[in-house]
Parts: sequence; structure tokens; C-alpha cells
Amino acid sequence: MSVSLFDTLSEKFARYLAVNSSRRSVLGKVSTAMAVAPAFPLLPVTRAEAAAPNPPPTLTDFERNAQSKDPDRCDYWRHCAIDGVLCGCCGGGVHTCPPGTEPSPVSWIGTCRNPEDGRSYVIAYRDCCGRNMCNVPKECDCNTSDREMPIYRPQTSNDIIWCFGTKSTTYHCSTAAIIGQAS
Amino acid sequence: MTDWLKTCARRAMGPLGLGLAAVMSHSPAMAQSAGAHPVLQAEQNDVATLPPIGPHWFIPSATDYTYQIFDMDKGRMLGTLPASMLANIAISPDRKVIYVADTMYSRVDHGTRQDLLQVYDAKTLALTKEIELPPRALAVYKKQDLDVSSDGRWAYIFDMSPATAVTLVDLSKGAVARTVDIPGCALIFPWKSGGFSSLCGDGSLTNVGVNDGSQPTITHTKPFFDANNDPVFEQGLVDHKSGKALFVSYTGKVYNVTLGQNPTIDATWSLQKAAGLPQAGTGVQELAWRPGGQQPFAWNTATGHLFVLMHSGNHWTHKTAGTELWEFDPAQQVLLRRIDLPSPAKGVAVSPDKASLVYVTGDHDGPITVIDAATGQVSRTVEARVGGMSIVPDM
Repeated sequence: MSVSLFDTLSEKFARYLAVNSSRRSVLGKVSTAMAVAPAFPLLPVTRAEAAAPNPPPTLTDFERNAQSKDPDRCDYWRHCAIDGVLCGCCGGGVHTCPPGTEPSPVSWIGTCRNPEDGRSYVIAYRDCCGRNMCNVPKECDCNTSDREMPIYRPQTSNDIIWCFGTKSTTYHCSTAAIIGQAS
Repeated sequence: MTDWLKTCARRAMGPLGLGLAAVMSHSPAMAQSAGAHPVLQAEQNDVATLPPIGPHWFIPSATDYTYQIFDMDKGRMLGTLPASMLANIAISPDRKVIYVADTMYSRVDHGTRQDLLQVYDAKTLALTKEIELPPRALAVYKKQDLDVSSDGRWAYIFDMSPATAVTLVDLSKGAVARTVDIPGCALIFPWKSGGFSSLCGDGSLTNVGVNDGSQPTITHTKPFFDANNDPVFEQGLVDHKSGKALFVSYTGKVYNVTLGQNPTIDATWSLQKAAGLPQAGTGVQELAWRPGGQQPFAWNTATGHLFVLMHSGNHWTHKTAGTELWEFDPAQQVLLRRIDLPSPAKGVAVSPDKASLVYVTGDHDGPITVIDAATGQVSRTVEARVGGMSIVPDM
């Protein structure tokens, strides 16, 4: 495997430093200052932040109670703004449509917090379409509403049948696929 | 005759005993009793018709995808209208016709899609006409997807493809006149006459003057509510006679609006402050009394009173069932009464008359609780299997 130009240059620079700098050189002093600086806060703002390091965001009740083990329950973390039947209870999965159905190319979205890593993710609640509604027990029929909006903000409204662009607009169930980390 | 006696008789008398047992079981006393009653006559089946729609009729969505008609003076069901779980319903202003807007496929879940405005005679519930429509919006049903102008000429039907539009149906001709695009806006709130307004994603209203149906006039208001953080519920209320509307936000801010080509925002007030409580904010851990449910508001325009399903919760609990029903005077912006509900409720409606009844329903499989608005007490519980969305006639 050939060595890239970047690797070659990096190696040459590292070797140059090793050969030409002493422990008392300017580079060494600067490095020490950078390493030690956080221990000597210079501004009141920094000290205030240090007193209360990264206060956790206020969580909604759903986020406080959310679990990350069973995606076929309404309290699974990705279901923070879902309205419908979970496809995982109908032969599909959290991002899989049940046999015989067709996923909607468009969807509404939610922003949900994963309790495992504390990060928020954008979730696409794509509907699976083309067969009558999947008949499930109450545990699989969910209606949560964190940051859920009215239909005049359709991209975050969960009352809409999102079977647009599918052969049939008949609603069967809803999935909850991760789109990416929320900024 | 007991089995024990019959057994003894058989054993003692053999075949003769069986005959005795048969005689004893047709005792003279029983024969006399039957003789006192005339023999029941054979019956012909017939079909019921309905009296004129009364002020205490209540039409909720039902579990098995129908709308059911109840007379709440008697607590009895009068009839059923077929409708899918995405169908909307409206009554003509003269109360002679009931409209159902529905979407169906020729082969249940596939085949040819048909969007129809179905016209039912309010006396016989006969399906008298079906008007073909452009594709409707398919969403959890709410009253604001379908309405009829106060003169009965126009039906307005909300469409979504997902671009949004409203279909104008000329009911005098029984045909679609045209669709009007309402980009970024949704739902239908009819004016006193001449058109309707829709709520928009930037917190404003778009206003559609229908004119003769061919060339609508479209205007926009400035944004008047915070659509990002505290949007108004879809279930805004309209008094068809005056064109006045009430829009309530997730936190409980009320916007009194007079709809028209140039709507006016008449007043803004808070449900909680009207109750002598601090105004609710948008904190996700800010416990307060908040409006919520599937159909959380009802407005009796005869008394002017507004009824709101309220629950204790944080922001973003706008779909949570109400544990109390709060009665307001929106003109004076004061709370009149708090009514404890026997069980959490998703829907509320109120009859249109002064001697008003309030109907409270559950999620989608519960009874109907009837509250006498004069006393605030439960006057009747009707066993039923109905959901949160419902309509009552305008009188």
C-alpha cells in the first residue's frame, strides 16, 4: 500500500521537530502553556461555567421515561412524536415495512433523545402503505407529541397520512428511522 | 317438575310414566296464563325515518368507522352514517342534508382512488348524490377539514398532496367549481359570508374570498401567533353566523378574531389568567393547567360560553386527555366554572341552544358523558363506542 503525500509530509515534519527542538525550546513552552491554561481560568464567564459544568438540558417527560431496549413499545426513545401503529408489531421493524406494504418516500420528522448516548437524533416517521391498517394491541398503538405541530406545519405534524407517492394511500403502520444527529 | 320426580315416575310406571311426565309439564296454570294474552301477530319489517334535526342531537365519530346520530334528550341512537376513519362530516345550514367527505378505493386498499362528497337526506339518511372531488387531505379527522358556507352554497374541503389547497364545491350545482392553492397554510375557518380563512405556518391567516367561485381573492394577515414555540390548535372555533373565531394556543393563549377578507384580531387573553392562575409558558418541565385532547374546545354561541378540556401537564402535552372541563366567557375573558370529569376526556362538544348540554367523549371506544350546562352536573351517561371528534347542528 502506497503512503499518501499527507502521511509523508506529516512524518517529515514530526521528524524535523524531534531533531531540531530541545526540551527548553519555545515550542515546548507554548505546549506547556496550552496544556496548563484550562487550570487557570482567566474570565468570570469561564469560572461560572466551571462552577456548573454543562448543565443537562431539561428533558420532557417522554425523554425522562424513554427506554432503548424494546422498539415495539410506545416508550422506545425514537417514538417521541409518533402517531400510529408500530410496524415492528406488524411483521416489520423500526425501519422496515411489513411484507406486502410499501414505504412512503416522504415523512414527518421528530427530534428524539437517545438515553444511551444522551444525543438527539432526527427521526423520519415513514408510513408503510398499501394495506389496511395493522390491527394491534394498545401497547403498539402510540400517540406521543414532543414538539409535535399542527398540520399547518406539516413536516412535524403526526396526524397526516404520509402515504404520498405510493401506489395506494392506504395507511398500514409507521416506522421510525434515524436520519442523523440533530445539531 | 323436577328431574328427580320425572325419574321416579319413569322407574315406577315404565312407558306410562313418560306420558304422565309430559302431562304434568303442561300444567293448567300455565295454559291459563297464556290464554290471558292474545297470540302475537306476524310482523312486517319497515324502515325508520328521522324527525327534524333537533338542538340536542349529537353526532360523534364511532369506533367502527361510522358517524352515529344520537338524540341526547332521550340518550338514544337514531341512526348511523357510513364513513372511513378519515371521513369528515358537516350539516347543511337548513339542516335538511348531511354531507360526508370520504376517500375510498375500488378494491378496499388498492385499485381506483375515489374522493367523494356524499350527500345524505337528513330525514331518511338515503344517499342522494355523490360529488367527485380532487384528492382530499388524508389526516386524522377534524371538523376543520370540511365546512359549509353559512348560505349553504359552498362546501370547502381541505386538500393536501402534500401541497395544500381547498376545493370549492358549488352545492347549488352539485359540482366542484375549482381548487384554490393555499401554500403553507391549512384547514378551513368559514367567514360570516363570502369565503374562509386558513391557518399558516408563519403564524398568520390566509383569507380566500370565494366570489363566484372562478376567481377567488386571496389576502394574508401579518403573523399574530408564535408558530414555532406556541402554535394555535388546529381545532379553532367559528361562529358561522357572526364570522367570529377563537384560536387557542398550546399554552392556552386565546386569540379572538373576526374573520373576513381582512381579519381583525380583537383580543388576546390567557385561559389560566382568566382563572386567576399564572399564564402557562413553554417549559417542558413547567407544570400548569393546559388545554389538550383531540377536540379540546366547544363554543356555545347562544350563551357565548367556551368549554375547554384542561389537564395538568408540561408544554407539548397538547394531545393529553382533559381531567377537568373549564367554562369561560370569552367576551369578558373570565372563567365561569371548573367541572371535574368522571374520566379523562379527549373530545368535547356543546349543543347550540341556551338550554345547553355538553357532550364529553373519550379516546375512541368509550361512553358519552352528558353534562347539563345549567348545573355543571352529569345528567346522563350513554354507553357507546365513540371517539373524540364529533359535531352538533348549528341552530
